[in-house]
Amino acid sequence: MRRLLIFVALALPFAPASFAQQTATKVWTPPKTAWGDPDLQGIWPGNMGVPMERPKGLGERTELTDQEFAQRVAQAQRASAADAVEFAPKDERIGIGPPSYWTERGKPTRQASLIIDPPDGRLPPMTPEAKAIQAKTPAEWAGKANSYDDVNLYYRCITRGAVGSIIPVVYNNGNQIIQAPGYVVIRNEMIHETRVIPLDGRPHVGSNIHMYLGDSRGHFEGNTLVIETTNFTNKTSIGSNGVAYNGQGGRNSEALRLVERLTRVDDDTVNYQATIDDPKTWTKPWTILIPLKRDDKYQFLEYACHEGNYALKDILQGARKQEELQR
Amino acid sequence: MRSFSIGLRTAALLLLVVAAQAQAYRAPRSADGHADLNGIWQALNTANWDLEDHSPAPGTMWETGAIGAVPAGQSVVESGEIPYLPVALEKKKNNFASRRTNDPEAKCYMPGIPRANYMPYPFQIVQSPKGILFVYEYASANRFVNMGKPEEAGSDTWMGTNYGHWEGETLVVDVTGLNGLAWFDRAGDFASDKLHVVERWTRSDRDHLQYDATIEDPSVFSRPWKISMPLYRRVEKNAQILEFKCVEFAEELLYGQYKKK
Repeated sequence: MRRLLIFVALALPFAPASFAQQTATKVWTPPKTAWGDPDLQGIWPGNMGVPMERPKGLGERTELTDQEFAQRVAQAQRASAADAVEFAPKDERIGIGPPSYWTERGKPTRQASLIIDPPDGRLPPMTPEAKAIQAKTPAEWAGKANSYDDVNLYYRCITRGAVGSIIPVVYNNGNQIIQAPGYVVIRNEMIHETRVIPLDGRPHVGSNIHMYLGDSRGHFEGNTLVIETTNFTNKTSIGSNGVAYNGQGGRNSEALRLVERLTRVDDDTVNYQATIDDPKTWTKPWTILIPLKRDDKYQFLEYACHEGNYALKDILQGARKQEELQR
Repeated sequence: MRSFSIGLRTAALLLLVVAAQAQAYRAPRSADGHADLNGIWQALNTANWDLEDHSPAPGTMWETGAIGAVPAGQSVVESGEIPYLPVALEKKKNNFASRRTNDPEAKCYMPGIPRANYMPYPFQIVQSPKGILFVYEYASANRFVNMGKPEEAGSDTWMGTNYGHWEGETLVVDVTGLNGLAWFDRAGDFASDKLHVVERWTRSDRDHLQYDATIEDPSVFSRPWKISMPLYRRVEKNAQILEFKCVEFAEELLYGQYKKK
């Protein structure tokens, strides 16, 4: 792990090789926009398959062994085989998940965990206050449906948060980057969100303005786009769909300061690295790495989430009906 | 008399020169040599209340007092009125009567085109040689205008399938594949999923962007019609698009009746 960290630290100001090819020595020069910024434009969908936290047994090892990788590949193949099944078996409980064939499956990689720092690939300890919040906020909807606000922000189609919008999930993983002089925009397909990031060094908005996606300011350090984001709410999580750190609930605090680094390491890869510094929630900062692969053929769809949110209405109506039957 | 006539001619000539200069405004160039439309823009009119001429009126809820009232405004429709087919006009009237709960804006649904452009919220144009992104503050709505070869819309959406091309100084955006669920304003003006909008975006000077749109839908209107308005640059120092994720503000309206009593 130490080797990787040193590599990442050294490589950032230059044009580093990809995560998977960290020993490559050839320097790749990324394209520039007409106005001279490193060109990150394109559609860069995330792909599932790498866990947030590293299995404890792997220790500080950042990549899977051949044997472990073969297992991951076999697992991916089994999952793909299930995609051929269009309809669920008759006796299967009516599920809330999507059919298997909706799933966007990427090519399996050897990356052991999204978390690359701390070196063991695991979340640092939470503060006692954050633990208390976590106990009250389950990641998945726990079934309580007295009101719409018993249901999480994702199911309510409000947001998945800045990082949660990039962490790969089952479908609609489209991330599009668009640039104009003085701006970089990150556009996320699911729920439909954009972060317009000014590069002109202006100060953040006032501290009384809070936003789910925060207030982002960017600059280039060599070929790396560095985005510093503050002014968050305390309603989202850093994790899958913005509702969980790692299958666990909990929320980040308004003190969160997010530093993202986007580096195009080859024609088809942008390494997305995010450091989460939220001293009210975690006792030290932690960092994730997601290599995003370019896909020019990716169909970036309109995700009209709230407009088609029959689930929330059905959940509430169902709960009222259940109460009526129990009376 | 003679000198008066010369004076008149000179004045006329001067006017022509001024008019020609106004015509000849040439916007700064983008990286690929087109007019630069980058910026944060906003309408400054009452089109979102009603595209047509309208007197001031009370809002839908007396509880909000004058805050919820409708400001008067002049039509942005070229011919003054929208040429509805008779049946469609009935539907517009029904929409108006039920606007408090049925206007998609009240539900925080995506605004569709053209409405997104004249809501009382700013939007940003991010113009890249690779495509042009419209980022609307309202409901985090956005649309990417593809500058490549137009293709048929894959499926109907709220914000449409957008293809752009340049005609001199004007960006022309052809919008198809609209689902017809969005309204045009709070007065219940509407179209169907056969709606076709052709937008024309032209910089008229440093801080103004002329917006014209031709609206065509043979199942709702007797002929195509046009709206036209200037948009204004948000010139404040450090102006930026903030968040207006309004789903939370619409949940009581949409789901309140299903809450546990």
